Amino acid sequence: MDEMIEFLHDGPLSPIKKWGTKWSIWPTHLVTACCGVELAHAFASGYDGERLGVLNFGMARQTNCIVVEGAITRKMARILKMTYEQMPDPKFVIVMGVCGIKGGLFWNGYHMVKPFEVVPVKYFAPGCPPTPESLLRCFRALQDEIVTGEAKNTIAYPKIRRKKEEKRKKPKKIPPTPKYVALNPSVVVDVPRDRKWDYGTEYRGKIAEILGELAERVTVTGIYRIHVRVRLENFVEAARKLRDSGFDHVKSVNIIDIPKNRKFIVEYQVSSYLRPEFVRLILTIFTEIDREEASFPSLIDVWPSADYLERELHDLFGVWFEGNPWMGKPFLLAPDTPKNPLRKDFRLQEEVYIGGEKK
Amino acid sequence: MKEYSLDISVTPPKEYESYFVPVPKEFLEDAYRSDDFVVFTGPQHGGSGHMRLIIRVKGDFIVEVIPDPGYVHRSMEKLAENRLYIQNIPLFERPSIIDFGNYNLGYVRAIEDALDIEVPERARYLRTILAELGRIGTHLYDAGILAVFLGHTTGFMWPFALREYIVEIFTRITGTRITGSFVVPGGVRRDVDEKTLDMIKRMLNALEFRIKKFERVFIRNPTTIARLKGVGTLTKEEAVDYGVVGPFLRACGVEYDVRVVEPYEAYDEIDWDVVIGEDGDGYTRFLVRVEEVGQSINMIRQLVDNLPEGDVLSDSIISFNRKDIRGSFFEAYADIVLPEGEYTTLTEAARGTLLYSVISDGESTVPYRVRIVTPGWMYLKGFMEACKGHRLADLQAIYGSFGYFPPEADR
Repeated sequence: MDEMIEFLHDGPLSPIKKWGTKWSIWPTHLVTACCGVELAHAFASGYDGERLGVLNFGMARQTNCIVVEGAITRKMARILKMTYEQMPDPKFVIVMGVCGIKGGLFWNGYHMVKPFEVVPVKYFAPGCPPTPESLLRCFRALQDEIVTGEAKNTIAYPKIRRKKEEKRKKPKKIPPTPKYVALNPSVVVDVPRDRKWDYGTEYRGKIAEILGELAERVTVTGIYRIHVRVRLENFVEAARKLRDSGFDHVKSVNIIDIPKNRKFIVEYQVSSYLRPEFVRLILTIFTEIDREEASFPSLIDVWPSADYLERELHDLFGVWFEGNPWMGKPFLLAPDTPKNPLRKDFRLQEEVYIGGEKK
Repeated sequence: MKEYSLDISVTPPKEYESYFVPVPKEFLEDAYRSDDFVVFTGPQHGGSGHMRLIIRVKGDFIVEVIPDPGYVHRSMEKLAENRLYIQNIPLFERPSIIDFGNYNLGYVRAIEDALDIEVPERARYLRTILAELGRIGTHLYDAGILAVFLGHTTGFMWPFALREYIVEIFTRITGTRITGSFVVPGGVRRDVDEKTLDMIKRMLNALEFRIKKFERVFIRNPTTIARLKGVGTLTKEEAVDYGVVGPFLRACGVEYDVRVVEPYEAYDEIDWDVVIGEDGDGYTRFLVRVEEVGQSINMIRQLVDNLPEGDVLSDSIISFNRKDIRGSFFEAYADIVLPEGEYTTLTEAARGTLLYSVISDGESTVPYRVRIVTPGWMYLKGFMEACKGHRLADLQAIYGSFGYFPPEADR
């Protein structure tokens, strides 16, 4: 068997094999993130990657190449490895985008993995996102490597001899980092801001009328934005009343972690599609729950559109939405991600401003 | 047909554990017993961006679809809490870089709302032009991906060739092909010259002409109609219940468009119609977006014709050069602090309603929390429900007709 492989690689017919491989690099269809947009351009009629024998192909088992487009998440890394292992020899990996090199914009994200730690990488195309030209140049370099056997950089920068600077200017003083994060601030979501909205009082009255005793406080927080503070035990009932009076869908579910007061603020932002007077209004009903034993009644019976949002927040914050069938199971995150990453006590790596002095 | 339950012991395959399949073991065992199949689609499949769908089929009819998203979850909400307000603009366009105008706009408007910044008229028009160009680009992109799903390679090549026009305009205006980050609090980064505006108009003519041809090649193609008509139907009530957004909601007959409901930028100063469908099936969802491309072309023409003269940056942001922000970025934006409170904006991105909720503590130069609900994430529920009762072979058509874009949904 080994002799056969050797014969294939170095025998008299090996140039034919190399030639065949060179013009049939079919990258497998593994579009991992946003750089996929430029990948599609590279293979569409504008840049026509097919003239180089490069076109995305559906199945990994008949391809030689993976183009990793940008960011690889923990969940995707597993798939990348599996796809890589399914490919027949020879295997090539090209990484697009800066996210694949040093992490790019997402360098300190909790769900990110560097692709070169997962699979051996042949070529990198830097950029955010790189242009189709630069991706195609990667393929050209790969084709050259298949024939000649040596990897080359596609860009060689000319060496410029720097003249001796006679007058050294004073080094530019870099200002200190403007970043300032308040330690343990207390956050209030319903700060009244009703000075610009003429119908504010009218709408506030309407909402107060619908909810009656259930609403603890109704605040106008902007133009067509109303916040309603509701007690936890009344929350489901208040939601039902709102649903019956025309608020038919959820726009967002949000949780805000406030470690100082040991509480979470749970917000449901609801609005209406069908009742004309409430179409523009975004009503935020919120309540506070205990941070340690975070549990909240799920509202998927009232608003089915809240389902996936609740599942996601369960992943990110660890709040147990009582009644949602997906509690306790990972939905958005990979199983090996740090638990409850959006809580404030989970900290990301901080960036360092070189040259900047700390305040 | 009578059904018999088989009382045999079944064990899910060994890969079940090593592949981190998110469904419980009982689900698989139950499916085996009731003679159903559980089919895994993805994450490596022919679409754009990746997700896994766990499909339970009876015969080849879909009984249940369980999504397994998160393959492109890049932890944006957490990252935003560690960056300056201004640094978050490029971060927040990454969900859907082809549609950067709308994504920038939503976030920047939240800041402007909090700080009471008045945007000059010319800047508002330029922002609207960018947003609408992004909309055309995204709809074309989705049409291309739909064609890939249907196995129609020509239908993929055409819209991507048309997208080159849009990308070219973006390059002229912003300097990059698809990630502009062009909208900043108080205006846009720099002014657009007459030559570019002229080119936009000429480009629109070329685009319109070729879209007519594309209509013949793909949109009115009998194959496309056969694959999409009557597939993945959502009724009006279902769509509202599941919180479907954007063109997919309008395809079901609901008249809801943020641009009309809550007009921002220059949308209330131009003439245009909301496109509304009736049937709520895959083909209507596609046609609504095709019509929207026509509307957007019409809108951009009006915007370019009526573009007012003046500055593109607000007085309160920068006082000495209101035509170009380059070189004054640090000075103008580094120490933005929003007053305490929550600021929510709605934007009509290409695929639907985009919600940003910025929560500030009033002291830090970084947001305390930012909640982004992207359209893709909102209509995922509707998409899952639309698949039920259809054949497995139609799944790709439904997927494509929703234009589901995982990077956008997962953030």
